[in-house]
Amino acid sequence: MESDAPRAAAAPPAEVALEPFQQSAALSLGVELELQLVNTHDYDLAPYSEEMLRLMSRYELPGAVVPEMTSSMIEISTGVCTSADQVLAELSLIRDALVKSADRLNIAIVGGGTHPFQQWHERRIYDKPRFRELSELYGYLSKQFTIFGQHVHVGCPDPDAALLMLHRMSRYIPHFIALSASSPFVQGQDTQFDSARLNSVFAFPMSGRAPFTLSWTEFGHWFARTTRTGVVRSMKDFYWDIRPKPEYGTIEIRVFDTPLTVSRAAALAGFVQSLASWFLNEQPFMPQEDDYMVYTYNRFQACRFGLEAVYVDPVTGLHMPLREHIMMTLRQIGDHARQLGASYGVQLLAEDAEAGTNDARWLREKHQRERLLAEVVRQGAGKFRGPV
Amino acid sequence: MNEIMAIWADWLKPSAGLPTVQWSILMAVAAAAGHLLQRHTGLPKVVGYSAVGALAGLAGFTGGAWPLQGIGLFLLELGVSVVLFEAGGRIALRWFRHNPMVLLQSLLESTLTALAVYGALRWMDVSPRVAEAIGLIAVAASPAVLSRVIMDMRASGPVTERALALSTLSCLYALTLVSARAGLLHRPVTTLWETLYPVAVVLGLSFVVGAVLALSLRMALRVMSPTSENTSMMLIALIAAATALAAHFGGSAPLAALLGGMLLKQLNPRPWAWPRQLGTAASLLTMLTFVMVSVVAAKADWSHAVAGLVAAVVLARGAAKIAGVVAANWGSGTTWRQAVWTGSAMSPMSSVALLLVQQFMTSSLTLGPRIAAIALPAILLMEVLGAIICTVAIHRARESSRTDIGDAWSPAVGDMRG
Repeated sequence: MESDAPRAAAAPPAEVALEPFQQSAALSLGVELELQLVNTHDYDLAPYSEEMLRLMSRYELPGAVVPEMTSSMIEISTGVCTSADQVLAELSLIRDALVKSADRLNIAIVGGGTHPFQQWHERRIYDKPRFRELSELYGYLSKQFTIFGQHVHVGCPDPDAALLMLHRMSRYIPHFIALSASSPFVQGQDTQFDSARLNSVFAFPMSGRAPFTLSWTEFGHWFARTTRTGVVRSMKDFYWDIRPKPEYGTIEIRVFDTPLTVSRAAALAGFVQSLASWFLNEQPFMPQEDDYMVYTYNRFQACRFGLEAVYVDPVTGLHMPLREHIMMTLRQIGDHARQLGASYGVQLLAEDAEAGTNDARWLREKHQRERLLAEVVRQGAGKFRGPV
Repeated sequence: MNEIMAIWADWLKPSAGLPTVQWSILMAVAAAAGHLLQRHTGLPKVVGYSAVGALAGLAGFTGGAWPLQGIGLFLLELGVSVVLFEAGGRIALRWFRHNPMVLLQSLLESTLTALAVYGALRWMDVSPRVAEAIGLIAVAASPAVLSRVIMDMRASGPVTERALALSTLSCLYALTLVSARAGLLHRPVTTLWETLYPVAVVLGLSFVVGAVLALSLRMALRVMSPTSENTSMMLIALIAAATALAAHFGGSAPLAALLGGMLLKQLNPRPWAWPRQLGTAASLLTMLTFVMVSVVAAKADWSHAVAGLVAAVVLARGAAKIAGVVAANWGSGTTWRQAVWTGSAMSPMSSVALLLVQQFMTSSLTLGPRIAAIALPAILLMEVLGAIICTVAIHRARESSRTDIGDAWSPAVGDMRG
């Protein structure tokens, strides 16, 4: 799996062929989580990724543990999973090893889309050629990219089906954002957003959404024209909200904030898988280019207001509370969730949607009570190490 | 210089007395020197403070009578106590449960340091009691210098954190052992109990004062925010009270503050937000201790013989600290290279060591001056040189967030952490 960080693009213009879309089992799952390393004194970010990677290499674990852009971040990923239960089991195993390693180094691991009070200028770029290259290209933006997301890969039977899945899934981007939002605080301030993390992604070129086409051949032509400009070299240079991942045979959803617990991460993966199953088995609707007319507005609403957002139906233009649309969607995919063994997580998400609770709200409530963001981080670290 | 001061004293009658004016001006010069030195050379500010203090001491500055007494001694103890309280508050005992090798590193480097310095001095024909005393003093690294360097460099990382923890623990051992040993300097010890009893008394009494301090703050923090300015003021006021009381009861003031910090960390696991709020007042107090240490230490008599002994102490101490940290590094979570930088970052000696010398001075009229004759120059040297070594070590470990200072010490690409 790879980084959320944007890639440098300094190569001379040359047409690059789109790599072939690999085979993967339909509805297979893979989850990546970017996590925060904090010290246990004042709970600011702590540059311990190298030490953590060294200690984690001693464990026999599924998936992978890799460095991220700055040295206070670490990324974990599951292997190829068939169910949300397997995702949870693998993430729990890795989490337990992470907690043990962190204890040895006297640091703590925390979820959440942002560190509430870290100062971007204090961050240090992880010592890796690619990260140094990115840092030179993007300047301070690379340090401001100290944000933490969850990526969910879902297997698609073929490339055309992947593009169809991608554009169908785009309608549910606000749902994903609102349910995973866990980044209300940035640089010590309440941003008034539930997910402020995605605002940092917007600063980079090549963010946003994939071009609308449902044909892999046509997408290949578009890709070839783009690479000819020299602005991008590979699919990895796009950091869209959802992007096809030909080398895995998946689409990758990248709008989730890292949740505060691995159980919520697994529940969100189960939600994606159930939606995908609904799409594949019932073909409930056909996406249209016009869907994207309300895409940015819906996305903004979800980032700003979380579960209290307004959702504009891309087909009818009807305005409705996002919570209601989420609950309706979760009811629609209920059978698929049951068949996939994801119903427990989906039920948890439904209850949260109904109650209007997400991780951003939890963080705000803790801050309201404690009046100390460092204490919020400490309690977040306790929540992350909890049973599941 | 003394003549100028005498003329000045004749016509100037300041309200708070002439020493206050002298010290105030010295502090102002030290603050400017620290700033300018760092700005133009990248050296840590503490080098500037020490240089100004040393020059003043060499020029015969009258404000630093040795041995220290009265308000000067109290201010030094208070400065050390504030630093050690904060340093003690960084020691999470649960860390040693999860990573006992760190505790072993601490015990090993302290033991090796005491033995190496004792051995080196004995080899140079220094009497056993003087060598033993200096061996114990040498155990204490300086959390004060280290934390100032860390602050200047905005450093964080495994080397920084571990060096600070090991330095704090080394002070814990040294303060306990010296406080107990100083009282027995002229008594022949015959049994193990006679050796351990004073250690237990010093530790016990300091623990009681530290516990009262920790419990008072624990209660206050139930109703006060750690980020409040008033909490910071209360913290300094309570540490001052504990400092004044601890020695009176027969304990050690810095030890009580250190134990108080450690205890509060256990009682109150919430984040320590107040060091940032302590701000300028604590920084001024810390700067005063650096200047005072160098003023006093600069008054020591230098000779070729002393220079040789000081060099032996400094080299043996430096090698032992690095060797101790490296020897127990296996399985502790850092690389061998990081262990070397950690040991190097523990080079500084400063105010804690001076207080230890002071204890020997007040305990023995005969041995005290002989101990001070070697220890004071070593302290002055290692306040300045130690701060520079510490800065280089943190740079080489790539744990500084500042890119505008010390570029010359930064490692080349490929020579990074680990």
